[in-house]
Parts: sequence; structure tokens; C-alpha cells
Amino acid sequence: MAAVPLIRTVGLGKRYLLASGVLQALCDVNIEIAEGEFVAVMGPSGSGKSTFMNVLGCLDVASEGEYYLQGRAISTMNVNERARLRNQLIGFVFQIYNLLPRLSILDNIGLPLVYAGISAAERTSRSQALLEQVGLPDYGDFFPPQLSGGQQQRVAIARALINDAPLLLADEPTGNLDTRTSEEIMAVFERLNSKRRITVVLVTHEPDIAAHASRLIRFRDGKVEADSRGRPFDVREPAQA
Amino acid sequence: MKLKPLLGEALNAMRVNRLRTMLTMLGLIIGVAAVIAMLAVGNGARNAVNAVVASMGSNLIIVLSGPQNSGGVRFASGSAPTLTLEDADAIRALPGVVAVAPGSGGPGQIVYGPNNWNTMVMGTNQDYLKIRDWPLADGSNFSTSEIRTAGRVAIIGQTVAANLFGSADPVGQVIRISRSPYLVVGLLSVRGQSFGGQDQDDTVLVPVTTALRKLFGSQFADSVRYIMVQGSGPTVLDRVQAEIDSLLRQRHHISAHKEADFNVRNLTQIVNAAASTTRIMSLLLGAIASISLIVGGIGIMNIMLVSVSERTREIGLRMALGARPADVLQQFLAEALLVSLGGCILGLVLGVGVIEVVKLIFHLNSQVTPSSVLIAFVVSLTVGVFFGWYPARKAARLEPIDALRYQ
Repeated sequence: MAAVPLIRTVGLGKRYLLASGVLQALCDVNIEIAEGEFVAVMGPSGSGKSTFMNVLGCLDVASEGEYYLQGRAISTMNVNERARLRNQLIGFVFQIYNLLPRLSILDNIGLPLVYAGISAAERTSRSQALLEQVGLPDYGDFFPPQLSGGQQQRVAIARALINDAPLLLADEPTGNLDTRTSEEIMAVFERLNSKRRITVVLVTHEPDIAAHASRLIRFRDGKVEADSRGRPFDVREPAQA
Repeated sequence: MKLKPLLGEALNAMRVNRLRTMLTMLGLIIGVAAVIAMLAVGNGARNAVNAVVASMGSNLIIVLSGPQNSGGVRFASGSAPTLTLEDADAIRALPGVVAVAPGSGGPGQIVYGPNNWNTMVMGTNQDYLKIRDWPLADGSNFSTSEIRTAGRVAIIGQTVAANLFGSADPVGQVIRISRSPYLVVGLLSVRGQSFGGQDQDDTVLVPVTTALRKLFGSQFADSVRYIMVQGSGPTVLDRVQAEIDSLLRQRHHISAHKEADFNVRNLTQIVNAAASTTRIMSLLLGAIASISLIVGGIGIMNIMLVSVSERTREIGLRMALGARPADVLQQFLAEALLVSLGGCILGLVLGVGVIEVVKLIFHLNSQVTPSSVLIAFVVSLTVGVFFGWYPARKAARLEPIDALRYQ
């Protein structure tokens, strides 16, 4: 029998109350993601993929069904427990990097450790080690606005890795980057996935980017439209009728 | 979140918006400076009053002769010769009275060798030094027999001694007052200026009997200008004052409802009246201080609310990275507290500066006391917590997903 999957959703649904009525952003999503998988999530705007990512990241709570992270049910947790989960188990990478401009690169990388109660000396040494891993060893004392987009995204990845989280959630991490830089960033993700067995779930619009993943989940109208494994797979849009 | 990163974050946020932080502090700075100045001026006024009481003598009642009407014209107190040495002796017999010193005097030319000096010559008795709490630097007080026999003896003040004798010892020397010889029996200790700015050391004391019968003379026998009475304690003063009034009315044959030819004054009352002016000034400053502190607090709240909405995305990110609502609350509360603490410290500096200027201009003896510094700190930190709480709670209650999406 297999180990408990890292991620398991059972009948997951999310509704928003709008002035015009109820919006069903997610509907009956049943997904299992095992440890070490590299999953790309695709779908048109409004398909529910972002909502799905927010629920996976414990930033949002499902209105129906249940989400189990490492076998633990999220809906029964309070805000503090969810904050601890985000801190310990999940690393976030955003499209717009979300680095704090007034903090140095090292302080940005070490920010999650502040909330884990780690001492300043250890924060600095761990941040420096990760900065070297993402190929920017000499940039620790710079500030985010002094770095290029690709460099900032590397810093953001280093921040996501600082707590040795088993799960990396990336929401269009290459959306603001040119093709070459995008490929470099994807190479970082691939290396983390293959060498360190970090589970990566990545939202993207671009088939080229999704091609780096080993599994593709497509959303449409809040539902899972397709879930295909194996590489290479067909990342083109399904043929229009 | 630990204390050190918490304070570091708050300081960082303050440094980034230096001008805004300073403007936010301004209300508190003014408030704290006003509190400090108010307390110091109040203290200074109280010190001044205490100094007056101390220099005049404690538990003092003064009986002045007059006022007198003459064809509707009112003369100053002490101008009519209605009080006598017998009145003083009668007052001495009242319960609660510990010392009585009649007084009468005038200007006199003092000569010693080639030097001469013009000063106030005061006729009084041996109780005078006790009532005014004025010890002798050298020599001895008048004896009872010197008072009774109107002896030609004198006690001189430091200014007179310096001008007539230089650094020589005056006790045992003979000086001339209005051409008659007087033996210097005592030298008063240094007293300095009175509250009104007079040099108290520029005086010569002689027995009251000598002053009345030999020095100044008078068409009215043994009448004095005032009688100083010392009560046994502050609590008996009102009663003693009333008893002196009825005793003198009886002796002067004045019925209770008529205007008396003398005036009984309780010194503490006079001094309190003078002090009430400074008290009003203190109250005014206090009102400014509290208004300014409240306005300053509202300013802090306003800026913190702006700061929270400006940094909504940052809050969302921090929450995504594992900040609990309590962490966010602490962060903004720490910022509000540091702003108010900074305002408090700058306000203290400003307040001390204001007091130094006040001291220079008004010669008021005001001091910043540790208790007033403590009050300023407690009040401004309370303001910081009180007005920082709402914005901080607002930040802590944000949903991470809404905060992250905030544009």
C-alpha cells in the first residue's frame, strides 16, 4: 500500500457570493498528488485553477469537501494552525515575486524563519546557503529593486525553500520573464524536483513551461477537465470541435 | 515573532517614511513638551511659594495698624499708630501663640570709623529671629533686659557689615546710628534676596523700645507699625487669627460690626493668592497638553490606518509565509509604540528646552522632576497603544488571500 499522498482533495468545492448570485469557482475536485511529483496546472482564465492553488496553499478555505495535506484535514484547523502549516510545509513562488523592497535580499529569504522563531544568525547563514544554491551568492546585501526579474524570482524561490518545505506552489512563476530567463527558472524547478524530491505544483498559461512537468491537470469551469501523466505528453490545447 | 525582529521591522518602516513619521510624532512632541513644562512650572511656582513662606517665617500672622479713614481718604495699612507694645504683650498671652515680635523702624545713617551706610533700622525684640527662622552668624541675640531698658545695642545684617567693616569682625564694635553710639552684639547670617527682590541682608536690628523712645521718637507713645505672631502650627492659625481680632477689638473698644483700626493677615493666605496665578497657568498648559496628546494620538491612528492599507499586500505576503494574526498585530502595534516613544523622547527634549528658556526669561525656578518624565512616558505610551490598537487589529484581521490580491 502506498504512503499517504502529500495532497488529497475529496469533493472539493468553492463558492463565492456575488451580487449577481453564487459563483461556483470549484466544483467536486478530487485530486491526489504524491510526494515528488511535478504537476502543471493549466486552464483558461476563470477556470478555477487559481482558486485551486489558493486552497492548496491554505490561503483560502474550501466551502465544500475536504483538503488533506500530509493526511491532515485543513478545514478543521484555525488560522494559527494554518499559518504554521504554510510556514513549515509550503513554499510560495508568485508571478510578481512579492519580495519586500525595504528588506535586503538575505532578509527577504529569511523572512519565513522569523515566523518560525529562528535566531538571526541562523537565518543569515541558511539564507546565504540558499542564495548560493540559486546562483546569486554575492547578492545578499542588495535590495530587490536592484535585481533583474529573473534574479528576483530566484530569490523568491530561495525564500520558498528556506523552511525545507516538501511542497512548492508556483503561480505563473515565469509570467513576467522572457523566454531564456523562463527556461533558467524552470531548470531550477526541475533540479529541485529531481534532486531534492520537492513536490512542485505550478500554474501556467504556456505549454512550453508546462512541458517541464511530469503531470498536467487542466481546469475548465471549476472542474478538472483532464489529468494526464507521463512525459512527453500533449500540452497543446485540446482540438476545438 | 521575537522582540528583536519585531522592533527592527518597526524601525525600518519608520525610517522609510521619515518625514511622515516625524509629522506623526509632532502632535505627541508638543503634548509631551507641554506636560513637562506644565509640571515644571507648577513645581517652580510651588517652590517659589515655599521660599516666600520660609523667608518670612512659618505659621506667621501679621497684625498691621490701620487702615484709617480721614475724611474718606484711605491710608495704607501701618500708617496709623494704633498698635502698641501692650497689644503685643496681650497677644503673647493667647493660647497657640509661641512668639510675638512687634516691629517699627525707618531709614537710618550708620557710621563706623570713616565708613557710613544708609539702611533700614528695624526695632523689634528677641523673638524676631525665631519667627523669621533667621540664625545669627556671630554674637548673640538681644537680652530681655536690653529690650526692657531700651539698650543701645544692634544686630547687623551681612550687607551692612560688609560695607562698614569689610572683612573685619563687627561683633563688639561700636557703630553710630543717627549720631548715637550702639554696641554691635550680633551678626545675622546670609539671607539673600526676598521674593520681591529686596536685599534682606541690608538691615540693622535694634530693640523696639530703643527704636521707639531713642531713635525715631513718636508723638504716640510705644505705638508700633506691625506685630508678627507665630502660631504653634498650621492648624491653629485660623483660630489664633480670630482670637487676635477679637482681643484687639476689645482692647481698642471697637465693636464687632465696625471697621477695625488694625489688620490681621495670615501669611499663608496671602502667599496662596499669589500662587493661584501660576496655578491657572499650569492648568492652561495642562489643557493644551491633553488636547495635544489626544490630537497626536488621532494622528498616529490616522497614519497607521494609511500604513495598513498601503501595506496590505505586504501583510498578505507575510501571512502566506507563516505570519499569524498575532504576529501582524504585534508588528503594527510595535510601530505605533515606537512612534509614540520617539515623540515622547523628542517632546522631553523640547520640554526641557522650553523650561530653560522660561528660567532665563522669567527667573522662575522650574525643574524637570523624574516623576514628570515618568508621567510623560506612561501617557504617551498609553496613547500609542490606545490609538495603535485599532489599525493593528484591522491589519491582523485581513484574510491572507484578499490581502495578497489587493491592488
